[in-house]
Amino acid sequence: MNATRAATGRRPSVGRLVAYAGLALYAAVSLYPFAWMVSGALKDRDEILRGGHLVPRRPTWDTLAETWSRLHFFDYLLNSLRVTGLTVLGVLVVYSLASYAFAVLDFPGRRFLFWFFVALLFVPGITVLLPLVILENRLGILGTHLGLVLPFVNGTAPLTVLLLTNAFRTIPRELHDAARVDGAGEVRIFWRVYLPLSRPALITIAVLTAVPTWNEYVLTRVSLNDESRYTLPLALEMLASGNVPRYNEIMAGSLILVVPVIVLFLVAQRYFVNGLAGAVKD
Amino acid sequence: MALLNTIDPSGRPGAGPSRRSPRRARRAGRRARRQWLIGYAFVAPAVLLFLVMGLYTIGYSVTLSFAKWNGFTPNWEWVGLDNYRDLLYRDPTLAPELRSAARHTAIAMLAVPVGTVAVALPLAVLLNTVRRLRGLLRSVYFLPYVTTGIAVYYAWRYVLEPDGSINLLLRSVGLGSLARPEGWLADPDTALATLIVIIIWGSVPVAMLLYLAGLQAIDPHLLEAAQLDGAGGVRVVRHITWPLLVPITAAITLLGIRDTMQGFQIFLLMTNGGPGGHTDVLGLQAYQLAFFQNLSPTLGVASALGWLIFLAALLLTVVNARLLRSSQ
Repeated sequence: MNATRAATGRRPSVGRLVAYAGLALYAAVSLYPFAWMVSGALKDRDEILRGGHLVPRRPTWDTLAETWSRLHFFDYLLNSLRVTGLTVLGVLVVYSLASYAFAVLDFPGRRFLFWFFVALLFVPGITVLLPLVILENRLGILGTHLGLVLPFVNGTAPLTVLLLTNAFRTIPRELHDAARVDGAGEVRIFWRVYLPLSRPALITIAVLTAVPTWNEYVLTRVSLNDESRYTLPLALEMLASGNVPRYNEIMAGSLILVVPVIVLFLVAQRYFVNGLAGAVKD
Repeated sequence: MALLNTIDPSGRPGAGPSRRSPRRARRAGRRARRQWLIGYAFVAPAVLLFLVMGLYTIGYSVTLSFAKWNGFTPNWEWVGLDNYRDLLYRDPTLAPELRSAARHTAIAMLAVPVGTVAVALPLAVLLNTVRRLRGLLRSVYFLPYVTTGIAVYYAWRYVLEPDGSINLLLRSVGLGSLARPEGWLADPDTALATLIVIIIWGSVPVAMLLYLAGLQAIDPHLLEAAQLDGAGGVRVVRHITWPLLVPITAAITLLGIRDTMQGFQIFLLMTNGGPGGHTDVLGLQAYQLAFFQNLSPTLGVASALGWLIFLAALLLTVVNARLLRSSQ
């Protein structure tokens, strides 16, 4: 509609100009620290101390390259990928099964279990952090990547169950019954009908899990001791803990940390945005 | 609205066993039991994981909140409700600290949802009125959510430094008197407000996206009909747009309250409660009591504080949900 209006030569109204000005202003606000992150990562040691300009006078890749290789950021990146990947996989498997049961199947205690999982949304992470460390110590998984993945998966339960149960419930019941008549079992219906039709919701859940897991700091900080198992946030903290903060290196490390999630977001964005929007429309 | 609406998983037709002839009923009963087993098999992994990772930790934490322990001695010393009493009024050092942390938490809890809605709603309305660049702008607005965490906190620290870009920006536009020579996070007057602004900055993306989806879900015919009936812009917003956005606002507020109440990572990483306790919040206090008191027996108090936070979050959520429902 607007395209045709534009084609017929309608001039942009004042209101529209104001709208774009406002939108551009907030775009600048959104990008502000990120722009300085890139700028800092491209400065050398002398220039970072003098501070000042957003555009580096003598932009250099050396800071990034050095942070990447000398500080072994590649190893930490692999650790982060491992922990995040396993967590996302675990969340999708465990809670898509459970949500299917809550949305489609019938069994006593279903209501109770569903609300129980949702109610966990209110238990603060800090309240169970200490017992978690003690428990993992007893199980012998404290300080391992498994010791991060299990509580991370468990921690997403409330929101994931809520969103996925809702997504499965929007799928017409007739599809289930038709597949049933054709002789398909529940596992097959789940796998062949419900999962493919819920792709946006599943991708939304994957992104909503991956981003906080990638950035997770507190549990990782208190449970990991072995530097070789550190994830990127801990590597970054190590880098920043010197007496005099070298902001060019810290910004380079920060950039290494955020680029993968930005890529993930850009790749998944179409599904992700629709998935979130779908959660609202119902 | 999945985040809010009460999804009732049992409200499905045709689920109960049918009541016909006894034999048929028996066969139906067998089939129902088979259904139950399949259902339990599907929820088993989730329940099992919860039994291992969740039940133990929650139970342990509740029990520990009634004891004194330093993490090393073999036995707990049972103190009943003492930890709770100490926190709320009795302990001369803990209680005042807790009160000031509670005050900071309350300020943030109020300011974050209000600020988020105040920025996200107009932004979504503006974005909804334009066609061009909408996709690009939406991605740009979403960056803060994707990057929030330690990396972007360090980036904020970098721009908030004494010689950082915020101060330079203020000086270059002639507002040098507003600049903070010690940096924004080291100045007691600005530290908490600065952190709140950063939290809002990080929570606007999701709120904006939810509002945008809500606005786009509004049937254009409804708006046209209202305009034909002579309703002006203000009345359309008041009677059509806003009522449809109330559930979304409620969800955003609830998430904001919960996250601010329970979250403390940004406080830990950016100020660690400083300067001079001006940004101390409840979550941070519980964290320090649990992990940084070495041999003093504060683990029980830390657990008790955790459960006080839980109760407060629950209470506020219920009150908030009631208020919003009655205003609808």
